[in-house]
Amino acid sequence: MNRLRPASALLLGSAFLLVGASACAQECLDCHGQPGSTVTFKDGSIRDVTIDPQAWAAGVHGSMGATCLDCHGDKKEYPHPELKAGSARDYTLAHYTTCRQCHEDQFKKQLDGVHIKTIAAGNRNAAVCSDCHDPHTQRRITGEDGKLLPEGRLGIPRTCARCHGEIQKKYRESVHGRALVDGNPDVPTCIDCHGVHDIADPRTTTFRLASPRMCADCHTDARKMAKYGLSTQVLRTYVADFHGSTVTLFQRRHPDQVTNKPVCYDCHGIHDIASKGDPGKGLQVKANLLRTCRKCHPDATTNFPEAWLSHYIPTPDRAPAVYWARLAYAILIPSVVGGMALFVGTDYLRRRIDRRRHLERRHRVEPS
Amino acid sequence: MSPDATFEPPASYDRFTLSDRVQHAVMAASFVVLAVTGLPQKYIYRNNRYLDDLIDLMGGLEAVRVVHRCAATVLMLVAVYHLLAVAHRILVRRASLSMLPRYQDAVDAVQAIRHNVGLAAERPRTDRYTWEEKVEYWSLVWGSMVMIATGFMLWNPVATARFLPGQWIPAAQVIHGGEAVLAILAVLVWHFYSVHFRHLNRAMLTGRMTEDEMEHEHPLELERIKAGTARTAPDPVALARRQKVFLPVAGVVAALLLAGIYWFVTFEQTAIATLPPPR
Repeated sequence: MNRLRPASALLLGSAFLLVGASACAQECLDCHGQPGSTVTFKDGSIRDVTIDPQAWAAGVHGSMGATCLDCHGDKKEYPHPELKAGSARDYTLAHYTTCRQCHEDQFKKQLDGVHIKTIAAGNRNAAVCSDCHDPHTQRRITGEDGKLLPEGRLGIPRTCARCHGEIQKKYRESVHGRALVDGNPDVPTCIDCHGVHDIADPRTTTFRLASPRMCADCHTDARKMAKYGLSTQVLRTYVADFHGSTVTLFQRRHPDQVTNKPVCYDCHGIHDIASKGDPGKGLQVKANLLRTCRKCHPDATTNFPEAWLSHYIPTPDRAPAVYWARLAYAILIPSVVGGMALFVGTDYLRRRIDRRRHLERRHRVEPS
Repeated sequence: MSPDATFEPPASYDRFTLSDRVQHAVMAASFVVLAVTGLPQKYIYRNNRYLDDLIDLMGGLEAVRVVHRCAATVLMLVAVYHLLAVAHRILVRRASLSMLPRYQDAVDAVQAIRHNVGLAAERPRTDRYTWEEKVEYWSLVWGSMVMIATGFMLWNPVATARFLPGQWIPAAQVIHGGEAVLAILAVLVWHFYSVHFRHLNRAMLTGRMTEDEMEHEHPLELERIKAGTARTAPDPVALARRQKVFLPVAGVVAALLLAGIYWFVTFEQTAIATLPPPR
């Protein structure tokens, strides 16, 4: 019952709102709903400002009863006051802060994101709220539980592709991207690795050093990996090896320390991550692995890639040399050191006993 | 402590030459540096705060790796020097092969163990080098060979994979770390007990041993010295003749070994040098 109450209140509230709101939107749509509605900015550029009434009504704002004036409060009068913005981009950059009225959390987060920093650095094309979420047509992307709806997830790469088209092309062909299109709910989309709103600059050393944990979030999840027959030992085996030990040490102590030791994506690809068996890129294919090693070890020969155990835990069948070496020292160290300790211990006791007897004897021979 | 006419200072006996003692000091110093810089590297994956602190204290991981390799180079130089010094002692001075293990050492060891547990009345009477010292010396020789061989593979993985299966490199890493732990624990248990704890043996510092110490630790050697059957100084003419052959040969061998070390430490770069990070 308790869970139903807020939901029904919301429903009731929106029903009331809808009546008033749609009336207001209808008024604006009288003009803006007609194709060919345009504005002219100061720089002379013309922008189509037609709003498709059906798309608006189906969008999350329209369907929840938001009004045009909630965002465009200065357009209350008709004729509208003269446009101050020099261009459409000027207008967007000046008005995106309006989203904050309702979306405070997301707004604050994006202030820490790479896009805002890029704008601050002078690139005015970097994305603000409305570049990713067109407020007039944006559909609902999260469910009641706040989690992304399947359609929402599917749309993410397309949204990012508006600017990052080349990257999206690579992603689409990757093992994750293809599965996403097939409706797989487990694979990451852009935001699972890069974050949403407070997107970090992926070109920093900090991002690079932290990236193995990012991949490990899913790749050590036994429930997820079991579905695809993938190993959950990938992080453990990486950290135990030359490359991973350095990277993780730097990550925990000096997250901005530059290092040439590879992280997951240096070998597996950044956006074009292939399945391990992929004939062209999969690292289970020897030639592909050798090519990958040669990126940093240019003189590597065919034996060299085997120096990396390919995330396998050594067993007698796989990496027998490593397995037997481990076993040998696991036996050798305790037995040798234990034997030594045993001798040292008995030697110490014997000498104490001998000394005491010696003193006692002397005591008897030379009574004071 | 007034001078006493009847006071006779206890006799002391030569045990280690200056060369021996310098070798020991340099070797011990490099051993400690190798252990201190090596162990935190071995256990990075343990995610241990104190080991991480130790690495930072020493200037960070990259610095630790360079220091470790420098200390390794010093250890290899001592090994080369030791090889030549032993060759000189045996070939030129014709010293007895007193460090070679003999059947008697096994007998001594068994007797020492039996004595400790109360099965034998007497402790074995040992000669110039006791069985315990031989265990230690040959462990060091064997351990150094293992560490140098596996160290080469880790230092030059690309070169190693040219003539060995690639898997031997991670195996070398396991052996290098395992042997290191074994060596460090052996030094802590065996060496510290026998020369620091049981009785502080200063022979590696002063080069000499008192009569009392000789009586306890090397009674057979002392007996021979006293009986006058210990080896006397070699004939100077023969010594000079053998020296004349030895020096040039040793020079060539030394040059070859040093070239080997140089080749070892400069063979390849990708395992240590900082290439630009992959993009």
